[in-house]
Amino acid sequence: MTETINVGMADYKITYSPTSLAVVGLGSCIAVCIYDLHRNIGGLAHIMLPTAQGTLRGERKKYADSAIELMLEELYKQGARREHLLAKIAGGAQMFAFSGASSVLNIGVRNIEVVEQELKRHHIPLKAKDVGGRFGRTVNFDVASGTLRVRTVNQGEKVI
Amino acid sequence: MCLISSERCGERGWFKYMIMEQCQLERLILVGNMGFTKAATALSQLLHKQITLRLPEVKMIEFAAVTEVIGEAGEPQVVVFLRVDGEIPGKMALFFPLASAEFMAQTLVATDDDLNLFENQLAQSALMEVGNILVSSFVWALADKTGFAISPSTPAIAIDMAGAALDAILVEDGVLDDNVLLLSTVIEGSSSLQGQFLFFPSAGSLEKLLEALAL
Repeated sequence: MTETINVGMADYKITYSPTSLAVVGLGSCIAVCIYDLHRNIGGLAHIMLPTAQGTLRGERKKYADSAIELMLEELYKQGARREHLLAKIAGGAQMFAFSGASSVLNIGVRNIEVVEQELKRHHIPLKAKDVGGRFGRTVNFDVASGTLRVRTVNQGEKVI
Repeated sequence: MCLISSERCGERGWFKYMIMEQCQLERLILVGNMGFTKAATALSQLLHKQITLRLPEVKMIEFAAVTEVIGEAGEPQVVVFLRVDGEIPGKMALFFPLASAEFMAQTLVATDDDLNLFENQLAQSALMEVGNILVSSFVWALADKTGFAISPSTPAIAIDMAGAALDAILVEDGVLDDNVLLLSTVIEGSSSLQGQFLFFPSAGSLEKLLEALAL
């Protein structure tokens, strides 16, 4: 059995193979996995919001932009090389839809947009994604192979 | 016992921490209890069943710790979510284990047959109505006591991993303080009916509520 580390909301974890990183019950949050197969190292950031609105920032690991930046710094520090880095993402669902609400702020969609934009800004290729929809996800990221296993209650299981 | 509360102040997003006094905490529990009791009465009448709610807990916790309140994050639950709009805005959510939700839905649509909650629209509407009645009763009790104009939104439902529903509720309005105030209680009918009732007042609502209650 490989060891699995759970990554809580607004946190990130970095590990070496053969360890896995997991998030249980992702809704509109996103699991951003960034890894270097040559160095057998990878990280998973469990982001909650796209960017800080206005002046209220608080915990930097909450936001897509700052969390990705912090995790990348840490990955480089621990030996990852920029030219080898790849990314996979999952999450960003819309769990609730209010009937009659005209302009519902869909945080899941905003999260996806900003995560993709930030990966592009850091020149990290997005290898695969399983995002959006109306359902929750439990994800397990195997750092050794870079595979991301996505389980749902009613939408089956996917390996990306 | 005291409670640490934070309030947003100034333009630079500083957090001001204040220690809530024992009497304020007691008042908050009292008003929470009153709201939750009204809600329990409404649910009892709806289901023709004795429903009790535990004395509410008031907590100021880091948002990440809210996960611990709702149980296994990966387990599916029926979650009904409503916004509270008006002078003391906030969010309310009900978390029901699948078996309890099915029991309520069976009572409401008057059937003994197994209901597939994931697909049965009628059962889902009935459960949203449960949410509606519980939250409306709570909100009216609160409005009555404080004089604030507040009203619940229409309900939305998710039957999915509890953790997934919770994170969506926390970030729904696009902002999230590092600490959230949580007023929660546990619904206890019998072994067949259990659930949790959570109220997250928005930043600033707590102070207004305390002021109104002090009068």
